[in-house]
Amino acid sequence: MIDLIVFLTLLALGYIFGRIAETRHFKSIQQREAELADVLAFSERLPPPSDEPRRIALVGGNVVISVDYFKVIAAGLRSIFGGRVRAFESLTERARREALLRMKQEARNLGAQMVVNVKLETASISKGNKGQVGAVEVYAYGTALIASPP
Amino acid sequence: MTEYENRPVPEGINYSRENPLKEFLLLCAALLGALAVLLFSLSLAAQKLAPLIPFSMENRLVAQFASSLPARSETERAERIDDYLNQLAAALLAQRELPEGLELKLYYSDSPMINAFATLGGRVYVMNGLLREMDSENALAMVVAHELAHILNRDPIVAMGRGVTVSLALASLSGLGNTGAADWLIQQLGMATISGFTREQERAADAMALEMLQAHYGNVQGAERIFALMDGQRAEPPELFSTHPLSRKRIAVVREFARQHPQHGDLVPLPNFMGEEVE
Repeated sequence: MIDLIVFLTLLALGYIFGRIAETRHFKSIQQREAELADVLAFSERLPPPSDEPRRIALVGGNVVISVDYFKVIAAGLRSIFGGRVRAFESLTERARREALLRMKQEARNLGAQMVVNVKLETASISKGNKGQVGAVEVYAYGTALIASPP
Repeated sequence: MTEYENRPVPEGINYSRENPLKEFLLLCAALLGALAVLLFSLSLAAQKLAPLIPFSMENRLVAQFASSLPARSETERAERIDDYLNQLAAALLAQRELPEGLELKLYYSDSPMINAFATLGGRVYVMNGLLREMDSENALAMVVAHELAHILNRDPIVAMGRGVTVSLALASLSGLGNTGAADWLIQQLGMATISGFTREQERAADAMALEMLQAHYGNVQGAERIFALMDGQRAEPPELFSTHPLSRKRIAVVREFARQHPQHGDLVPLPNFMGEEVE
């Protein structure tokens, strides 16, 4: 019985705080995406041809987001039936966009208007360890093109 | 000249905006439903197959549970009651053909509990607390006959088969899913499956016991005694949550049986040594 209470408490805490964190994070992501809209990012390998002088620099952004207890249980249930793991989809979406934003922020700090050859690396922290709450890491990096004054 | 543009990230494609609670509850319901169907069909299969286990096997099984059965008391009174109970059982079963390999053994137990039970290996235990509440041999015979009926119906082995199958199924299901929480959930469900006799088994045992009484005494007087006792003892939970039918209903069954069968003869008193104090 005490197990059940602990379980339900963790589940409720995970749901409430996870939900608050997620809603806030999405809001913040959308806002910063609008702010950084003028820093362009492309997966194109080569920079657009240009005669103007420019410097290039590696920029990157890294983020680690933890899953909450509710998401773990929801995904566990999903693993029985199969289908879209919606609980983790929003998590990875947040991580990807946050990592890109951080990369763009670095690019802007360097005065760049464009980042090309953008790549995303992802890793799962505490991978496969049963009973551990996992976290997802996303690292976004690319080549920033910085217009240098003549 | 190529135009370079980054469009705003479209929302709601890569992830779902639906409240996750909805999906969660739906999956929980589906899982519980699937588990219920699985456990129900497994326990049904066990229930059908368990009676095929021979009595000899049951006797060997009960040896393993011997430590959890009530301790025997060695007093002279206990031995006399043991003998008396076994004679009573033999008399009640006189008209019936017993299945092959069945060895009935009735035991008296010093426990003050108002209880009697049938278990594996054709064993019946009658507690001292119950004997003290019985006002006639007929009343006691009803309890004994009820327990004998459980044994003749193979109810103990069915209950055990069901219990073992369900806990085995739950144990093997624990490998399901990839989180510790799933294991935990399944464990909890296992604890909830209590393996007792079902209401249907109790009803069948009652009916068979009444027939035994009618055959032996020519009447079913005193058969109500045990149910009246249970009725007065404690508040009963609603029938749905109980393993036994409501005492009220069981009394009604006895009266209905008495109405349909000719009743002659009187109550038979209990032998004197029953009333002696336990040393």
